[in-house]
Amino acid sequence: MVKYELLRDLEAYLRARVRASIDRNVKDIARRFGYLDYMIARYLNMLGSIDEVLDLLNSFEKPLNPVIRCNKLKVRDCSYMVSRLKALDYDMRSIMWEESSYIITKLGKVSLGATHEFLLGLYYLYRGPASLVPPLILNPKSKDMVLDMAAAPGGKTSHMAQLMNNEGVIIAVEVNRIRVRALRSNLERLGVKNTIILRMNAINIPKLFGEYFTKVLLDAPCSGEGLIQIDKSRKTKTTLNDLLEFRKAQIALLNAAINTAISGGYILYTTCSIAPEENELVIAEAITRRDDVEVVKMPKIDELNFSEGLTEYYGVELPNEVRLCGRLYPNKHGMEGFFLCLLRKL
Amino acid sequence: MPTKKVIKGNAGGIECVINNGEEVLKFIDNILGRDASKLVSRLGKVMICKGIFKEAYIISDTLTKVIKVIFSKGYIPYSAGLYIGRIRKSKPYFIPSINLLQLIYDELGLRRAIVVSDEGLKPFLYGNDILRKSVIRCYEPLSKNDVVGIVGTDGYVYGVGLCAMESCNDLRRLGDLDLVAKNVFDVGWYLRGGTETRERMFKV
Repeated sequence: MVKYELLRDLEAYLRARVRASIDRNVKDIARRFGYLDYMIARYLNMLGSIDEVLDLLNSFEKPLNPVIRCNKLKVRDCSYMVSRLKALDYDMRSIMWEESSYIITKLGKVSLGATHEFLLGLYYLYRGPASLVPPLILNPKSKDMVLDMAAAPGGKTSHMAQLMNNEGVIIAVEVNRIRVRALRSNLERLGVKNTIILRMNAINIPKLFGEYFTKVLLDAPCSGEGLIQIDKSRKTKTTLNDLLEFRKAQIALLNAAINTAISGGYILYTTCSIAPEENELVIAEAITRRDDVEVVKMPKIDELNFSEGLTEYYGVELPNEVRLCGRLYPNKHGMEGFFLCLLRKL
Repeated sequence: MPTKKVIKGNAGGIECVINNGEEVLKFIDNILGRDASKLVSRLGKVMICKGIFKEAYIISDTLTKVIKVIFSKGYIPYSAGLYIGRIRKSKPYFIPSINLLQLIYDELGLRRAIVVSDEGLKPFLYGNDILRKSVIRCYEPLSKNDVVGIVGTDGYVYGVGLCAMESCNDLRRLGDLDLVAKNVFDVGWYLRGGTETRERMFKV
């Protein structure tokens, strides 16, 4: 075992170790499920047994039911929205840990993204339930000054606005010209009015604001390795080198997030990926190179027991506090693969 | 006496000002009534940004403080607060947003509005115009070539039209297929992503 902070060239180390772990067994499984070899080798290292890996891969083959969040900024009584959708032949069941959200159990006559109810902003549509989790963990209040660093298309921004009763301030940042239009369109449709949209690279936010925000959400751009249920192309889309490039950008964004939080402020780092390279190895970099931030235990959400963050990966020993981060797996939690880590600025 | 304090920022050819919103409140007063403009004035300050379009937003005092910081660093927001509409140089001088109309209708009741049947809403949400046969109720005041709210039987605002009538009385002389309101904006835009033609048509 080698301690993370003592490793001089993590990327070269990982490339060599991952390559060495690709054996015939790994190749057979990769071919059977249509993945790149290195992904299966990593899953085996992360999960520890072939059975666990097969369980994960089988769960990635199962389709995910869409989820809607009743938009309380426009709907006083969510049963009204539910009754309108039921009249269109939809059926749904409540999500126990998010009172205003529902899993669609039967699709209706009209596409969920084209109903009058959708166009009127009575609900927000998600591909799965995992994206509901970050706003609940960050739990912003109306007095908070919130930064959402990669905000488009606006699901988490509008959810936070709902939790804040449309008061306080959210700065929603998006650099992409097309995606920022979608962000604005969604926030308008949903009646969000406590938000300022900035079209800029979120890396530059500390230059603009300094230490300013009480709560920062960094839902970092990532490989989307947790979304294989929704997008099968992700089985072969990302190489290990791509992942390591994502990691560099994620570290830069996380440093910007920490820099712009006030002392005592919270930073929630999330990705829709189960790759340790984009998750624990990003958090480990921040907490070993900086002395102004710590990982904190995430608040408990009823009936949602996160798996712990990994503290060992290919013989690299990560700081023990990374264990406090949370993982969501499709085979264990019935939703997209997701990673969350709550940090506090000292 | 209202204060005349103006906060300004500009970047990338777009200029934004924050003030008490006299310019936009005058338009709201004209088309939706004094009580509507008073309601809007109570919500906060008005930010108007002028680029290709001239757009108005209501922003709270807290948002105003943050926007001041943004202006001071040479940036401007892409949008902020509650978008209330677009100001134009020719008629219609002000195109209210769906959210503004909904707010006014919910708080003060329907005015300058047409209630449309479910059958009429469907083509409207694909960008089509409102015909006489779709109209269930009509609310004054109306004026030809000025805006009118398009409302569903559920009370929700589904869009904004350009009225083809001078008053609700005109409905009596119109045939089923006669034009009542041209489509300016409808919530189907959120699905379609906007049409360039219409964007050009109503630019400043």
